[in-house]
Amino acid sequence: MNKSEQELKDWLLWHNCIDENIDSLANIVRLDLSGKKIEELPENFGLLCNLIVLNLANNRLRVFPDSLKELSKLTNIDMRRNSFEQLPSVLQYMPLRSINASANRLSDVFILQKCLHVRVLDLSGNLLKSLDNSLDEENEIRTLNLSSNLLHDMKTVFPLLKNVERLNLSENLLKVIPSTVGELLSLEEINLSYNEIEMIDSAFFDLDLVEVDLSSNQLRNLHLSSLIELEKIVLDENPFEKLDVDFSFAPYLRALSCDGCGLKEFLLPQSEEIELLCYSENEITALPKEIERYTKLKELDIDENRIVDLPDSLANLTYLEILYVNGNPLSMEAKKVITILDPEICDLNMKTGITIEKAAKNDLPEMAQLLSVLFAIESDFTIDYSKQLSGITRLFLHESSDLLVAKYEEKVVGMVTMQRLISSAEGDYVGQIEDLVVCEEYRKMGVGSRLINKMRSMAIDYGYKRIQLAADVDNANALAFYSRRGFKKTHLNIYHYVV
Amino acid sequence: MYDKEKVLEMEVCACGAKNVAQAIEIFGDTALPFKKAKKLVTECNKSCCRGVLMKLFDMNQYGRFDYDEIAYLIEQRAERIKRLGMGDEDE
Repeated sequence: MNKSEQELKDWLLWHNCIDENIDSLANIVRLDLSGKKIEELPENFGLLCNLIVLNLANNRLRVFPDSLKELSKLTNIDMRRNSFEQLPSVLQYMPLRSINASANRLSDVFILQKCLHVRVLDLSGNLLKSLDNSLDEENEIRTLNLSSNLLHDMKTVFPLLKNVERLNLSENLLKVIPSTVGELLSLEEINLSYNEIEMIDSAFFDLDLVEVDLSSNQLRNLHLSSLIELEKIVLDENPFEKLDVDFSFAPYLRALSCDGCGLKEFLLPQSEEIELLCYSENEITALPKEIERYTKLKELDIDENRIVDLPDSLANLTYLEILYVNGNPLSMEAKKVITILDPEICDLNMKTGITIEKAAKNDLPEMAQLLSVLFAIESDFTIDYSKQLSGITRLFLHESSDLLVAKYEEKVVGMVTMQRLISSAEGDYVGQIEDLVVCEEYRKMGVGSRLINKMRSMAIDYGYKRIQLAADVDNANALAFYSRRGFKKTHLNIYHYVV
Repeated sequence: MYDKEKVLEMEVCACGAKNVAQAIEIFGDTALPFKKAKKLVTECNKSCCRGVLMKLFDMNQYGRFDYDEIAYLIEQRAERIKRLGMGDEDE
C-alpha cells in the first residue's frame, strides 16, 4: 500500500467502517459510512476503485471530490440526508443503477441527463421546483420518488418517463394532470396524494395502472372509467361535488377508499373482486342492498356517516373480517345484523383506555382466573385455579420471565407471558410465548395484537433470536390469529410425558 | 444525536397540541389502523404532521423508536411549512 492508500485506509479505520486486516483498498466493494457526521470525503476517495455499493447517508456532505470519477464500478449510492444543493457532476462517470438522494436541499439535478442507466431514483424531500431539462429521453428509470418537493408542473417531464413503473409525486404543488400523462406507458403505480389537483386529463384513465392514490387533492368532479388493470384506488379527502363510476371502470378492482369525500351515496363499482371498501366520514344515509354482491369483501369502513339501517344481506358476507361502523345512528336491527355477521374486528364496542403493562403482584389472582378461560378451550389442560395461581406466581418471580396484562379500569382483561429459553439451533436466547388470553367481552378490540406486539418488542430489546409458541390445533381462532401476525407454522409436534 | 427526553417533549401536532410522548401513548393504547389512530392524535383531517405520525405509528407497531429520525422528520416538516408559508415555491 502506498502512502496515499495508507492515508485513506487510516481515514476509513478512524470511521470504523472497514476491517483492520484489509490489505488492499481494491478488495473493498461495499462501504457503509452512514451517520458519521462527515463534512467532506478525502480527495483520494477514488482509490476505492472496486466499490459497488456506497452508503453515505446521514452526513453533512455538500460536494464530492473529483476523484470519485474513478469509481467505475459503483452501481448503488445512498446519499440521503446530507446537504447537497445540486447533484454532483461526478455521478455521470459511474455506472449507477440506484441513487438515493432524498432529504437534501437539491434544487438542481441537471446532471441526471447524463446518468442514463439509473433505474431506481429517490429525490424525495428536496427543493425541486421543476425537472425540465433534467432527464434524457434514453433514461432507464423504473422507480422514481419525487415526493415532498415543490413541483408545479409535470407536462414536459411525463413524456420522458416511458419506462417508469412506480412514480411517487405526493406532497407537491401540482394542480393539473396534463394529457402527456398518457405517455407513461409502463406505469403501474402512481401516488399523487397531497397535491392541489383540480383536473385530470382523460388520458390518465387509459393507462395500465394497478394502484392509484389521489387522496387529499382538490378534485370536485371525477368520472371513474376504464383503468382496466386497476386493483386499488384511494380518493380520500377530496371535496367532490360529483363522483361517479362508469360500467367500464376497473373490472378487477380490489380496494376503493373514499373517506371524507362528502359523498351522499355509496358508490358501487362493477368489480366482483372487491376486498376493501372505505367510506368513512361521508354523509351516506343508507348502505345499498347490492353490497351483497361483493362476496370477497374482507374490510368495510363506514364510520362517521348517517346510516341508520344495515341491509340483512350484509350478514351473508362471510369473508368480512373487519367492520368499522362507529359514529352512525344505528338502529337495534342494524346492530343485530352486525351480531350475526360477527366480524373479527369491529369498532362498535371498542373501548378506549385499555392499557398494556407489566403485571404486578396483585394482578396474579386475576391472571390465574383468566388462564381458566384459556384452558377451557385447550383440551390438553384441565382447569385448577390453585395450580394456575401457583404457576403464574412462579413465573412472576422467575427472573427470565415477562408477564404482560391488558387492563381496563384496573381490571385485568387480557394477558400473555414469555419465558427465556436457550436454543441450540439459534445458538442464543429465544422467547417462549404462552398464556395469551383475552376476556370474552374484550375481544375483537385488538387487545391480543397489542399484547403480542408489546411482547415482540421486548424480545427485540432483549436480543432474542426468535419468539415461538404452541397453539391448540382445535383452536382455529388462535391459529388464524398467529398466522395473520406473521408466525410461521413449524413441522414440529409437541409431546409431553407426565413425571 | 438527539436527547431522547427532548425528542419526547417536541410538539408533533399543532392541531391536537400533542408532543411525541403523548402521540406514542395514544398509538400504544389503540388497535385502530393508522388513518383512524392518527385522528386520535390530531383531532383533525389535516395532513401537516402525517409523515411524522406515520413513522411514529410504525415504530410503535415494531416496538423500536429511532428518536433521531423522529426529530429529523419534525424539523423537516417545520422547514417545509415555513418555506411554503413564505411563498418560496413561487417561480
